[in-house]
Amino acid sequence: MIRTEQLAFRIGTFALQHLNIEVAAGQYFILLGPPGSGKTLFLECLCGLKKIDSGKTFIDGRDVTYLEPRARHIGYVPQDYALFPHLSVEQNIGFGLRARRYPRPERSRRERQDIASKVTEIADLLGIRYLMPRRIDGLSGGERQRVALARALILCPKVLLLDEPVCALDEFTRQDVCAQLLRIQRQLGLTTIHVSHNLEEAFSVADRAAILYQGAVQQDGSLDELLRRPNTEFVARFMRCENIYSAELIGTSAHGCRARVKHGIEVNVPGRHQGKIKFVIRPEDVLVFPRSSHNPKCENEFAAHLVRWRDCGGYIRLELDGPLSMIAHVTHAAFAGLKTDSDKGVNVALPLSSIHVLRQ
Amino acid sequence: MKNLVCTPIRGWRDRVFAAATLFFVAAFVVFVLVLIVTDVFYINAKAVITVLTSRFIRHALWMSIWTTFATTLIALLFAVPMGYALSRFRFPGRLLADTLVDLPVVFPPLIVGLTLLVFFSQTSLGKWIQEDLGLEFVFQPKGIVLCQFLAAASLAIRSAKAAFDSVDRRHEDVALTLGCTQWGSFRRVCLPLARNGIVAGGILTWARAFGLFGPLMIFVGSFRGRTEVLSTTIFLEQSVGNLEVALAIALLLILMALVAITIIRLLGGSVL
Repeated sequence: MIRTEQLAFRIGTFALQHLNIEVAAGQYFILLGPPGSGKTLFLECLCGLKKIDSGKTFIDGRDVTYLEPRARHIGYVPQDYALFPHLSVEQNIGFGLRARRYPRPERSRRERQDIASKVTEIADLLGIRYLMPRRIDGLSGGERQRVALARALILCPKVLLLDEPVCALDEFTRQDVCAQLLRIQRQLGLTTIHVSHNLEEAFSVADRAAILYQGAVQQDGSLDELLRRPNTEFVARFMRCENIYSAELIGTSAHGCRARVKHGIEVNVPGRHQGKIKFVIRPEDVLVFPRSSHNPKCENEFAAHLVRWRDCGGYIRLELDGPLSMIAHVTHAAFAGLKTDSDKGVNVALPLSSIHVLRQ
Repeated sequence: MKNLVCTPIRGWRDRVFAAATLFFVAAFVVFVLVLIVTDVFYINAKAVITVLTSRFIRHALWMSIWTTFATTLIALLFAVPMGYALSRFRFPGRLLADTLVDLPVVFPPLIVGLTLLVFFSQTSLGKWIQEDLGLEFVFQPKGIVLCQFLAAASLAIRSAKAAFDSVDRRHEDVALTLGCTQWGSFRRVCLPLARNGIVAGGILTWARAFGLFGPLMIFVGSFRGRTEVLSTTIFLEQSVGNLEVALAIALLLILMALVAITIIRLLGGSVL
């Protein structure tokens, strides 16, 4: 388990602002945020590499705030892995054991054998035994990543911190390495914090996530929560929700409120609110159907026309204009059934259950 | 030696540009080689025999070797912790320390000799060191080491700092999380990664100390069989008209400098 209470750290004009993050034992937690949001700094504070200004850090229920990095028993894989170029792969993996004089202080033949067998064991776990005699210089990105992971895991840490562990890898290797990370995390029951700016990575590994921006946690929760119920406009944009609207409430409706968006368009939104609001709807939740048809179940329906579309592989991205400009993602089958007329007119509906009002 | 990138020549404009740069390379190399060859042809067999058989020159050579090695060792003893501190820590007076490190490289070496002479012969602290502590430097072999150290240690410190600067801080951070103490991460990670730069700095220091002349003449003099080193021998020999012998000794110095620079190149040091 990892817990931070009001963790604060300032460097120059940038500050980590009283972070409260809790990761349950055995959980795979991903910390998302754009570059420069303080993700790496947060990991360095957890490792004890930066002396925090205030707050507390707990690992496995133990207050480690004032402990040295080596006493925290954390496995840390920094960005670009920071493998030791003057050592072989085998020496890199066994570095922690030698630094801690495992298992006894004296340098005996048996000790060397113990270290060698432990290194082989962890190399087998990660499938890198064949790399053992190699130098670091000649390794590929994926191989480096696995060597760095093996080096961090050899001391059997209870907590694993991964700083952008797959960002330097190509798409195919990234998916492969993410799957392996998850397998090892589950197998060893490691409490893991994985830092990334990539949303796909989060979906392939994370149990829970948080979004960090300018040193402050914007929101934490399950990925579905971040995706469907973002707290702020920043979170919504980060989770790639492009349909964000400002509106003014004008009354109530059967299931919520009636809000006026620009050009006098009125939309029903769920819940009770007051004054001005911002609401979002995910592109994949926008319903698009031919102009001639009508969806009787949907309250928020209006005409739009298709400006352009792009095949994104798994779906078609539509750019729609009309009283409300918006982005919609539809399946290939749905797109084929649109049969747009000469002015590319379509009908668009925003289901009430898919509209989410942001906290102001 | 690594990361050598060869620029391809893609037409006559590239050829002209390459030829212009290579002209300066050739001019410099030819000039230095002509000077060395002139020296070789100027000396004669008698001069070489004199250099090889003279008891005083052998003593000067031995004196040059042991004093410069002692100087290099002491310089490295200062350079490694100083280079690390200047590279890694921010402390009050860091800028002043950093500037003072470069000072002996900038001012004429003669000033080192004058300053040391004034300090040990004119100040009470200097006199106390010499007379009460019994650490005599003026006109003593120990003074040669002190003089060389002051004039050449900057090169070792500067090289060590550059070498530590080039070591990624994250390597040390990872070592700390893997169980190393600060000293352990320095010894196991930082020092091995900075080794080439430190060794190159040591060789530069040695080469500078080996060729030092002016400050030695002022601070320790050039007493035959006592405080004479090869560089001062050259001066003594040419002052009494033995130009061939002086040039033969100079060639010995050039040979040793070439060996030192070749070792730096082989080590891949980035300081030269």
